[in-house]
Amino acid sequence: MTCEEARDRLLDAQRGRLAPETHAALQAHLQTCAACAHEAAAEALLSEALESRLPQHRAPVSLKRRLAAEWPGAPAATPGLWRRRARYLVPVAAAAAVLLIVGPLAYQRASERAATRMVAEAVNDHLRILSSQHPLDIESGGIHQVKPWFEGRLDFAPVVRFDGDQDFPLRGGAVGYYLDRKAAVFVFNRRLHTISLFVFRADGLPWPTRGLVRVGGGQAHVTTSRGFNSVLWRDGELGYALVSDVDPAELARLAERLAPKS
Amino acid sequence: MSEAYDHGMARWGRADAGGLGREALAYADTLYNLARYLTRSPTDAEDLVQETYARALTSAHQYTPGTNLKAWLFRILRNTFLSQYRHERHNPTVGGLDTVAPTAQGVEPVQWLRGDLELDRLRKVVGEEIERALMTLSEEARTVILLDLEGLTEVEVALVVGCPIGTVKSRLSRARAALRALLKDYAR
Repeated sequence: MTCEEARDRLLDAQRGRLAPETHAALQAHLQTCAACAHEAAAEALLSEALESRLPQHRAPVSLKRRLAAEWPGAPAATPGLWRRRARYLVPVAAAAAVLLIVGPLAYQRASERAATRMVAEAVNDHLRILSSQHPLDIESGGIHQVKPWFEGRLDFAPVVRFDGDQDFPLRGGAVGYYLDRKAAVFVFNRRLHTISLFVFRADGLPWPTRGLVRVGGGQAHVTTSRGFNSVLWRDGELGYALVSDVDPAELARLAERLAPKS
Repeated sequence: MSEAYDHGMARWGRADAGGLGREALAYADTLYNLARYLTRSPTDAEDLVQETYARALTSAHQYTPGTNLKAWLFRILRNTFLSQYRHERHNPTVGGLDTVAPTAQGVEPVQWLRGDLELDRLRKVVGEEIERALMTLSEEARTVILLDLEGLTEVEVALVVGCPIGTVKSRLSRARAALRALLKDYAR
């Protein structure tokens, strides 16, 4: 197989559309051609980025409701609605009734799922910090060195209300990721424990809305997952996730210092 | 309403007590997502999806049961977009020139030497950077990327965009190469 033939078949190979013998010939070529192997890896990474990281826009509920009302065969729809707008009231009332009955339950479940996802990401990001050999892009000489370092590296200015002290010294910072966006990572210590603080843009994230507790002047989601304690909160346009295996009461003390004051 | 509408309505109603209508509505999110990437605007995307379903309803008699309903709806959406919104769109040409040979981007030996640097950047690129890069591409390039992402085969994509299969293949290849080139610059 030539390089040109191999390149032509990379996407089909990804999609599992090649005949076994062609697939085998392609694999044999990739074993011996570094350039095509690079192309195959880049194409696979591009697919992975598109499939798992490109934002997916969901149709607004109001649009779905309008379509359901206008279309035959959909729940709560009658064909005549297309022409007789006055009868909009029927499906709207039906939808309202359904929302009243199942709404709170669905809302509760959605909120729990959202919280789980947000916490899981924070714990994963913290694990990356712990497992990295060089977790810090900038070693701390104090918050006044760390904060300016982020300038130009993020599309927002991270606001951190606590500079670190003897109990919770600031070790440094790094640029990381939280779900689909960049995050400022601040690493604090509590004795031998590492505490990660992720600061990121808060918009468009499935913030938990239930089971919140008061932290500082705001409300936060406090939980334990996989042995790590985490505190998540919003402060204006920014979101904060604090994660560590340190005692929950000590993490709460740090969260109090970082959270907005009442 | 027109005879075609009544015909379509009768057919949809007859086919399966509303089953087809319900099936079509199940693609609302998918169609809206494509509409957002085509129009760049939530409001225009809503209008486009609503118009797509209205047109699908009036031409329901043209739909052949058993064929790919999603691809059929995508085709209506894109044609509606081209007829109603295209004049308002931005004017990018990246990845949209059929005169550019498929081998012109991303495959010359000299570019092979980009090595692991590109791979590292692709691993680190975030959602908003991919979205920004995608929106820089031409409408044709964006469409083939998104339809491919939706799992449509090249034959189905060819039906949606109304061009030969070979053109879809080369267009997709160029669009992906253009996307990689853009991400290489963004993900720093």
